[in-house]
Amino acid sequence: MITLYILGAASTVLTLLGFFVPARVTRWLATGSVAASIVYLFFTWGQRQTAFGGLYVVDPISQGFTLVALLGVLWALLVGRSEKWEFSLLLLYAATGMHFMASSPNLPVLLIALEVFSLPLYVLATWRRDEPGFEAGLKYFLLGALSAAIFLYGIALHFGATGSFNAGVQGSGPLYAAALLLILGALAFKVSLVPFHWWTPDVYQGSPTTVSLMMATAVKAAGFAALVRVLNVQDQGLWGLGLGALIALTVIFGNLGALAQRESKRLLAYSSIAHAGYVGLGLYSGTGTAAIGFYLLAYLLSTGLAFAVLAAISQGDVPYERLRGLLYRKPLLGVAMGVGLLSLAGLPPFAGFWGKLLVFLEAAKAQQWGLLVLALLTSAVAAYYYLRLFNLVVARGEATEAAIPAPGAGTPVLAGQSAGGLSLATGRLAAWPLVIASALVVLLGILPGLGYRLFSPTPFA
Amino acid sequence: LHVGLFLPLLAGIALLIWPSLGRRLAVAASGVTFLIAAWLFARASGEAYTFQALLLEPIQMYYALRLDGVGLVLWLAVALTTLLAVFIAKVPTRMLGWALLMESGLLGIFAADDLILFYVFFEATLIPSLLMLGLYGGRERLKAAYTFALFTLAGSLPMLAALFAVRYLGGAPSFLYSDLAAHPVSGSVADWVFLGFLVAFAVKTPLFPLHAWLPSFHAENHPSGLADAMGTLYKVGLFAFFKWAIPLAPEGFAQFQGLLLVVAAFSAIYAAWLAFAAKDWKRLLAYGGVSHMGLGALGLFSGNAEGVTGALFLLAASMVYTGGLFLVVGRIAERTETLEIGPVRGIAKSAPALSVLTMFLVMAMIGLPGLSGFPGEFMALLGAWKISPWLTFIAFTAVIAAAAYALTAYQALFQEEQNRVVSDLTPREWAFAVAIVAGVVLAGVYPKMFTQMIHPLSEALAKLLGGGA
Repeated sequence: MITLYILGAASTVLTLLGFFVPARVTRWLATGSVAASIVYLFFTWGQRQTAFGGLYVVDPISQGFTLVALLGVLWALLVGRSEKWEFSLLLLYAATGMHFMASSPNLPVLLIALEVFSLPLYVLATWRRDEPGFEAGLKYFLLGALSAAIFLYGIALHFGATGSFNAGVQGSGPLYAAALLLILGALAFKVSLVPFHWWTPDVYQGSPTTVSLMMATAVKAAGFAALVRVLNVQDQGLWGLGLGALIALTVIFGNLGALAQRESKRLLAYSSIAHAGYVGLGLYSGTGTAAIGFYLLAYLLSTGLAFAVLAAISQGDVPYERLRGLLYRKPLLGVAMGVGLLSLAGLPPFAGFWGKLLVFLEAAKAQQWGLLVLALLTSAVAAYYYLRLFNLVVARGEATEAAIPAPGAGTPVLAGQSAGGLSLATGRLAAWPLVIASALVVLLGILPGLGYRLFSPTPFA
Repeated sequence: LHVGLFLPLLAGIALLIWPSLGRRLAVAASGVTFLIAAWLFARASGEAYTFQALLLEPIQMYYALRLDGVGLVLWLAVALTTLLAVFIAKVPTRMLGWALLMESGLLGIFAADDLILFYVFFEATLIPSLLMLGLYGGRERLKAAYTFALFTLAGSLPMLAALFAVRYLGGAPSFLYSDLAAHPVSGSVADWVFLGFLVAFAVKTPLFPLHAWLPSFHAENHPSGLADAMGTLYKVGLFAFFKWAIPLAPEGFAQFQGLLLVVAAFSAIYAAWLAFAAKDWKRLLAYGGVSHMGLGALGLFSGNAEGVTGALFLLAASMVYTGGLFLVVGRIAERTETLEIGPVRGIAKSAPALSVLTMFLVMAMIGLPGLSGFPGEFMALLGAWKISPWLTFIAFTAVIAAAAYALTAYQALFQEEQNRVVSDLTPREWAFAVAIVAGVVLAGVYPKMFTQMIHPLSEALAKLLGGGA
């Protein structure tokens, strides 16, 4: 409850307050309120709450996925700095929407939450005000609106078939199946499962890197939270086949698509598609919430590391070659990137390995052997392109393009980007999240129980 | 136990962060690790050292260690070789750090008693190994690194599938070895599970069609041979077959046994043949290693107590002498600036002690009685003979071939007409020589000290196969 109040109140107040105080203050207030919500989450961890006649529910799902989403937003706030105060404000709106998305079992409310966090993202995608940015924003918006329409239609059919607006209600018949599949499709758009993924590469590449960071992590967490609730029905035959097809397509196309990339943000976009497929495996067993949660946390940390490093290099494109020898020029960035990549590749002892292991285990529990083997094979492909990037980071030799500013330099790297007024956070502010996240990736890699327990029904038992 | 496992890790990390600490720290850390291994070895009674802690409760995954006789012997071999390697090799300091990280991973592989934990160590060891190759390797290092990484990863992912299958289709309550072994899988599932393990472990043994990563891996590593020696230690395939693949899916093993014996025999002679054609020392030793592992595998797959004991002993012994040879070759390469076998000849005149040391290790490698290579080869021969005399006969022509390729190369380098003057052993190298010769001779003259620790476990495995298959 309080989490919602903090976020909601901060958004409302800042909307007006922003006119009177400098952008810096807005940013600090936004950061502070997100941080306060996280702290509050921790203090009430494991408690259940219901409000608004069951439209708003705080349970382990809500807490776990909100935590991941808020961490993603917090990171974006810390890394990105804009001359315009709306930047922080929009991030805050998105955070509120994501929290609600993770906390409601009611389908119309889910749709509203979806729009609440999607609308600010459409704006943020165009923040750089250049050709790719506009293209990204437009694409994201059109496809997003379409998927919202699909979602809405699914809700209507769901109501028609069951007489209820609540997710997870058991129903039967073709109408019900159609409703579930439509909702599945719409949510698959948010978490970018193939074939609902077409926007992802262009949007990730066109948006400012800081925004891509948040899209890749927080949005996914919110989307999967909703998926966990919607697919919480006994009869797997209804949605099992549809989900199976999505996952199979996703792991294949995500990984093969990533192989062909030459630009880092695009690569991470394809990699995030592939990872969504792996997370989907956890949906099968019905007990996989904790596994999904852990995966998303590990994924947040690793992808966040990769994107934060890219953001420190440029808010625009980062061709592979610019990463060459990063380890020697900027040891901190190099180590952070290396840890992030190895974790994404799923090598122990990093957090990403346990995430993968846990969702695979859930798939094994549910006896989904075909999908499991497919996922394993494609992870071998994934290892190839992560290692290729990793190799560049540790390779000796000069980058083809000139100097890369230190995380503390704070100067805009691309000329075109100063128009959007988005630059990098200064000094330690940008360095600390990197250090902390790298440490967490390793810590969770060695003691995965710490993170896993957060998402269990009885966290501190 | 824990100190032994994690001391190299900590020292390795310290070295990576502060390379100025230098070699002394690395030597001290690996020295202490060796002493711990030796102490554990000396104190060992039939009981194994065990430790268990719940690591991930919801899926019943344990941080479980179990160091039995086989584990102890292999720990000793790993610790000794690492110590020698760190002591002798001329490499950048940070590389010593990676080597120590790798030592921790290797020790973990042999001590893990939980299948997932084993997998973690198995995979985690890959990273330092890759980095040593990628950062400090030769000209073609990236290609070699990719080959190595892809072979290993592609191999270990089927293993991950097998690992899930063995628990959920076998119905074991946890990933602990004892639980898994109490619920063996059967029928066609067992075949698939074993096949999954087989792919992963055959890459690491290495067996014939899956050995292709090895020559380029060794050839492209740092010329000092430090990484090669560590890579030799990473050939944990035989151990993994022994501890995990065979006991967990004995029915599957029974299905494939015939084929495996043939493959093992073939890889022994095939590699020996290639070693004969090799033009530089590292490739020669690499193929020699494949050949030896083929013999070991032949013993292991025969499934009786003698063969299995021989295989494991051969594994431990070959870690020391092959690792030692890689290091010695590295020292020679530093003097002559080439690893090729042709150009430099007759250096025995100027470096007599070096030539004797090399001779010792070469003799151990070709299995001269009295040195450490022989007991293992002999027992593997004995075990394999019981199963299939013909295959054994064919495979052991590899031993003759070993003498041929090793001695030819030795002769080319040390004997014949002198065309290059090199310096003889430095004091540091003398220490290295004394230690390794002592180890090789001890294991060759009194193998019982080691085999008596291995034997009860091999008998248990043989009994399992006799009763289960």
